[in-house]
Amino acid sequence: MTNTTAIYADTDQSLKEAYFTAGQGQLIWTRFKKQKAAMAGVIVLVVLILSGLFAPILTPYDPTIAGRDADYQNGAPQIPKFWDENGFSARPFIYTPSRERSAATNFRWVTTVDREARRYVVFFPKGDKYKLFGIPGTRHLFGVNEGKIHLFGTDGGGKDIFSRTFHAINTSLAVGTIGVLIAFVLALVIGGVSGYYGGWIDSILQMITDAVRTIPAIPLFMALSAFIPIEWSAETRFLFISMILGFIGWPTLARRVRTHLLTERNQEYVLAAQLCGAPAGHIIRKHLLPSFTSYIIVDLVISFPYMVLSETALSFIGLGLKDPVNSLGVMLQSVTSADVLLNYQWYFIPVIFFITLVLAFVFVGDGLRDAADPYGDTKK
Amino acid sequence: MVQFLRFAAVRAFLAMFTLILVSFIVFSLMELVPGDCAERYLAFKNTTGSGISVADIESERIRLGLDKPYITRWVTWIFNAFQGDFGDSCILRVNISQLLGQKFWLSLGICMTSLLVAYLIAIPVGIISATSNNAVLNNSLRLVSYLGLAMPNFLLALMIMLFSTVFFGDSLTGLFSKEFRDAAWSWPRVKDFLSRAWLPVFILGWSATAFAIQTVRALMSDEIGKLYVTAAAARGVSGRRLLWRYPARHALGPIINSLGFDLNRIFNELPIVALILTLTEAGALLLESLARSNDQQLAGAIIFMLTASIVVLNFVTDIILALTDPRVRRSILG
Repeated sequence: MTNTTAIYADTDQSLKEAYFTAGQGQLIWTRFKKQKAAMAGVIVLVVLILSGLFAPILTPYDPTIAGRDADYQNGAPQIPKFWDENGFSARPFIYTPSRERSAATNFRWVTTVDREARRYVVFFPKGDKYKLFGIPGTRHLFGVNEGKIHLFGTDGGGKDIFSRTFHAINTSLAVGTIGVLIAFVLALVIGGVSGYYGGWIDSILQMITDAVRTIPAIPLFMALSAFIPIEWSAETRFLFISMILGFIGWPTLARRVRTHLLTERNQEYVLAAQLCGAPAGHIIRKHLLPSFTSYIIVDLVISFPYMVLSETALSFIGLGLKDPVNSLGVMLQSVTSADVLLNYQWYFIPVIFFITLVLAFVFVGDGLRDAADPYGDTKK
Repeated sequence: MVQFLRFAAVRAFLAMFTLILVSFIVFSLMELVPGDCAERYLAFKNTTGSGISVADIESERIRLGLDKPYITRWVTWIFNAFQGDFGDSCILRVNISQLLGQKFWLSLGICMTSLLVAYLIAIPVGIISATSNNAVLNNSLRLVSYLGLAMPNFLLALMIMLFSTVFFGDSLTGLFSKEFRDAAWSWPRVKDFLSRAWLPVFILGWSATAFAIQTVRALMSDEIGKLYVTAAAARGVSGRRLLWRYPARHALGPIINSLGFDLNRIFNELPIVALILTLTEAGALLLESLARSNDQQLAGAIIFMLTASIVVLNFVTDIILALTDPRVRRSILG
């Protein structure tokens, strides 16, 4: 504490006043801003979330089978160029691929690239129809004047991997949000009751929590999702999977809520409220929960990427989401085949985005945890 | 001694209770899987050419005891499970303990080895990173452990597969080479197994290590600032001796205590890693029985055995902690 006092002694009086009168939120923000890694994480996160939300505009094609490019299946990424041996162009261009199958190619589909036929990149062309926040539209950020452009290549069905990646970010964020919200409510109720009442209620709830925690989560997910009827539509499935993630994710948070409540409930302010005749629900909501809101927020941010990763894992093994819903797990379903590993490595491009997304969440969560700790300054 | 036995008995009772609770959860889950064993048995018969009727299914249900009430069946199941008998698989129609026996121990071995490797790396590295002031070292360790957390095992497995196929032309999959797959255990087979098993151990240990480093680091930095460490330093103890004799011993208690949940985390990834590396062990069987064939008998048996080993490990670590930590020992022994 001596360090901080020394620093603040030299500075302006008004600054000092600002420090001592700052609210909890302002203090956390001040501490958070000092951490470079966490700030970088926030920027990356905001960019990724926005690009997920605005995916229909930012990406050139529909991510489902409706937006497929029948002429370019399993196609390599096309990088826009400014010049080649045929000369320079102010507008970036790509080449025209064509597929052919004949006696010359041994009756297999072979893609050839015509370097003479250029396709120029254009901005805001009309393309596939989409709905963004309920508003229908047809304009996309970029495209090419003829045919289609695939920055990250295409998959076996000719679907554009670039478009799918950004739509998948959207899906993952939605799954994570629903899962975290359900887990959050369950954890608050169970942990709150367990911690506030203590005694035998606590013992029984803890026993159940521990039993749920003992079963490894992914086998449990697998068992739960094994009985989703096959007839369910992709959207129902999506909702159900997010709910499962939430129903399994609560124990860790519930435990933390409980531990905190167990120590807080013996404080004088709780006794005062009880003596004033406040009911238990009121005390938990109005007095106890606000005492550790910041910890809860931190925990939510930290548990978010694990929800996303569980969904990915589940979809990857074929028990989670299915086409036409896009998610990283769905996109990775076919990559273990030797064909993909040897010939179509661009299937792995979305992985980079997801590692970035998860890393950004981890950095932000960690930064928040340090910032929310009121003794963080004094320890060092 | 009497007190210690009483402590052990209480712990054993609690472990037993958890196990029964878990078995109830697992059993109920398996009941929820659409269809039942009788239908699957007869579906198999149907493929061999003989027609089946509703009456056949009913009689098969009675033969398998599926007509009895839920609780009765659960009690029978759990009773047999404790004797190591899980009945027959619905699809493969062989005894589950026979089918699973060796494969389960193989998986458990792989997971335990990963856990061991994780802590062999994490304890020294965690202690160093908590005590050193070297910024470069600390930041690089932080980055590595973040990567371990952000890149789940199955993505890592995929990446390794991608690189090994592109650069070496071999995807490094499987637990045995072709000639040893069905052979009896012998020295060459063990060698072959070890030459392949390091990869799953490495992949499963990867995020476990990252997680363990973080735990050890956090516990050590909490302990290192305490007064007894300063007091010991003032008495002239220094260097490695100081760290090992004072803060490290305190920090290791909670780690021993959480070993069971670390094993849980490793088991968690096993089925998916098994799928990618095409391992032929319990994780792969579990995936097969849940995702493809809905074989609830087999899946239930595997999940039950996984959780049973976690509960047993939790019990063992409780006892070890009671024996090694003088504070706990004294509170039990008086």
